[in-house]
Amino acid sequence: MNLRTTNRKISILLILFSTLYLTLSFQLPKFPYAIVDSDVLPKGLGFLLLVLSIGLFFDKNEKKKEGKQAAKKEKTLLVGIVGMILLYIFLLEIVGFVLTTVAFLFAMTRLLGYENWKVNGLVALSFSFVIYLSFNYLLNIYLPQGILPF
Amino acid sequence: MDFDSLIYGFQVALTFENILFAFIGVLAGTIIGMLPGLGPISAIAIMIPLSYGMNPASALILMAGVYYGAVFGGSTSSILLNAPGISGTVATSFDGYPLAKQGKAGKALAIAAIASFCGGTISVVLLMLVAPFMADVAISFGPTEYFALMLLGLTAIASLSEGSTVKALISATMGLIVATIGMDQQTGTLRFTFGSPYLMEGIDFLIIALGLFALAEVGSLILSRNKQGFGKSENVGSLKITRNEAKEISGPIARHSLLGFVLGVLPGAGATIASFMSYLSEKRLAKDSSTFGKGNIKGLAAPEASNNAATSGAFVPLLTLGIPGSGTTAVLLGALLVVGVQPGPLMLQDHPDVFWGVIASMYIGNLFLLLLNLPLIPYISRILYIPKPMLISLIIVFCLIGVYAVSFNTFHLYLLVFFGVLGYFMRMYAFPAPPFILAFILGGMMEQAFRQALTISNGSLTIFTESKITLLLLILSFFSLIIPLIRPIIRKRQRSHNDHTHGKGMS
Repeated sequence: MNLRTTNRKISILLILFSTLYLTLSFQLPKFPYAIVDSDVLPKGLGFLLLVLSIGLFFDKNEKKKEGKQAAKKEKTLLVGIVGMILLYIFLLEIVGFVLTTVAFLFAMTRLLGYENWKVNGLVALSFSFVIYLSFNYLLNIYLPQGILPF
Repeated sequence: MDFDSLIYGFQVALTFENILFAFIGVLAGTIIGMLPGLGPISAIAIMIPLSYGMNPASALILMAGVYYGAVFGGSTSSILLNAPGISGTVATSFDGYPLAKQGKAGKALAIAAIASFCGGTISVVLLMLVAPFMADVAISFGPTEYFALMLLGLTAIASLSEGSTVKALISATMGLIVATIGMDQQTGTLRFTFGSPYLMEGIDFLIIALGLFALAEVGSLILSRNKQGFGKSENVGSLKITRNEAKEISGPIARHSLLGFVLGVLPGAGATIASFMSYLSEKRLAKDSSTFGKGNIKGLAAPEASNNAATSGAFVPLLTLGIPGSGTTAVLLGALLVVGVQPGPLMLQDHPDVFWGVIASMYIGNLFLLLLNLPLIPYISRILYIPKPMLISLIIVFCLIGVYAVSFNTFHLYLLVFFGVLGYFMRMYAFPAPPFILAFILGGMMEQAFRQALTISNGSLTIFTESKITLLLLILSFFSLIIPLIRPIIRKRQRSHNDHTHGKGMS
């Protein structure tokens, strides 16, 4: 895809966003005693973004090439990884830190192409336990216990 | 500068605890900095959860160690793999990698370590001399000066960013916009929280730092995981440097420690720009400039001295003004605020232990780095051969734990993923991320300063023209925006002018 047309698409997206942000800014409640009320900065920023986005639409002197576009297969992989992270977050407080993390680390490392399952399993297990124990007992930061009894 | 203060600093830094934290900091920094793709911002953000509950001096000693450790360690992968660990060491690979290809990897690593050590140490001396003076000046600053300073920081980082200035400005504006989410500090109005109690206090800076940097960088790591020849470990060769070589690099090291420090102090510049400027100016100075890029040791020493000097330079505005000039120091500021210290001109009086303790710890940290990097580097560099799939999974989990340990709810984890995806797309479409994080951190402070100023003046904008310093800073920020806009025009003129004269000569 041509960089210029990509920039234009992003610019239109940003124009829409700044319009939305401006609309919300104008709906902010008034506070009677403030010389500069809480809506001043958001309004200013909304207009600034609007102007800059329009500027991007007409911006011609782009020197740096955009980052490489990922191949289709890799894109599916990235989406899959984001999905796995979301699943991890969803299960974290229900199942508990240790079990979800062991499963996540093992599956993710395998998915990304590491094949030695013994090493993989060992790392996943030891990492999860070491982190869990040191956070809970050394730093007193309690990670979700979940269904495990400790 | 008085020696009592420095001795006091060493008393703080030389406690067993703080020596340990300085060591952990530089070790973690070296390792994370070495991994291609993960920069100092990610390194600091990943380490922040460890600092919870620490006393402020120890926390900053740890974080500062991570920062300069990352810049120190970034050179290793530049030299060994031609894959810079961080953007500040890209210039290091220009001559470092050719040296490694000639079988002199050990020598290149040793030169990089010595140049880094000298750059780091010289600039800490300069930091120690300059900072108290700056703090004295800054103590008279009012809200208008602060507002103008922060504005200059933002415009400078935007205009010095790689690529399109419009995109950098959009990135900064987005950072400011995200900073407006949450309860307004002055009136208590809830802004853009959409009724969610989780957004009332705004978005934690750690979520932005880990998402926009660490997670987004993981995205690029995933795509490049099969590329480099990771997995084979080679012998790095002898680490020895001859006396002649030592003599040859002493000039560049001295010059570029100074240059790097100055560039580090200036808003918006920092290690990356410092290293490139040093490389180019050393090349211009050298008599043997044709061998630059083919393994010239001066071309290796110059950027290495410079990027490490720039890191200490960046601490000057952070510690004395409380205003970060770069994305990295912005994250450091965030980390400091979490442990309850507001850096600024009053820090010298209110928290001398933090101020002098950190400075003293930098001497110690640099010494650790030299020890870590000189004899041990062949062993430490093995970390580069950890299978990437495993590394990527571990980093993702680290990011998630980091955010969970601040917020203890999963809402913020989803937010982290959102910013990770956003950061990935920003990279893909060449929107620089450092202006975003700097703007996000400065946003609340800027708004406060702006409103304080207008409250003093009862709403009149002329207050911004009353102080000379404010006016000067505003003019400077205006110019920093104008320059990148007119640069292409000037270049075009020059080119057409050259073509013209050239054409005449031909006829």
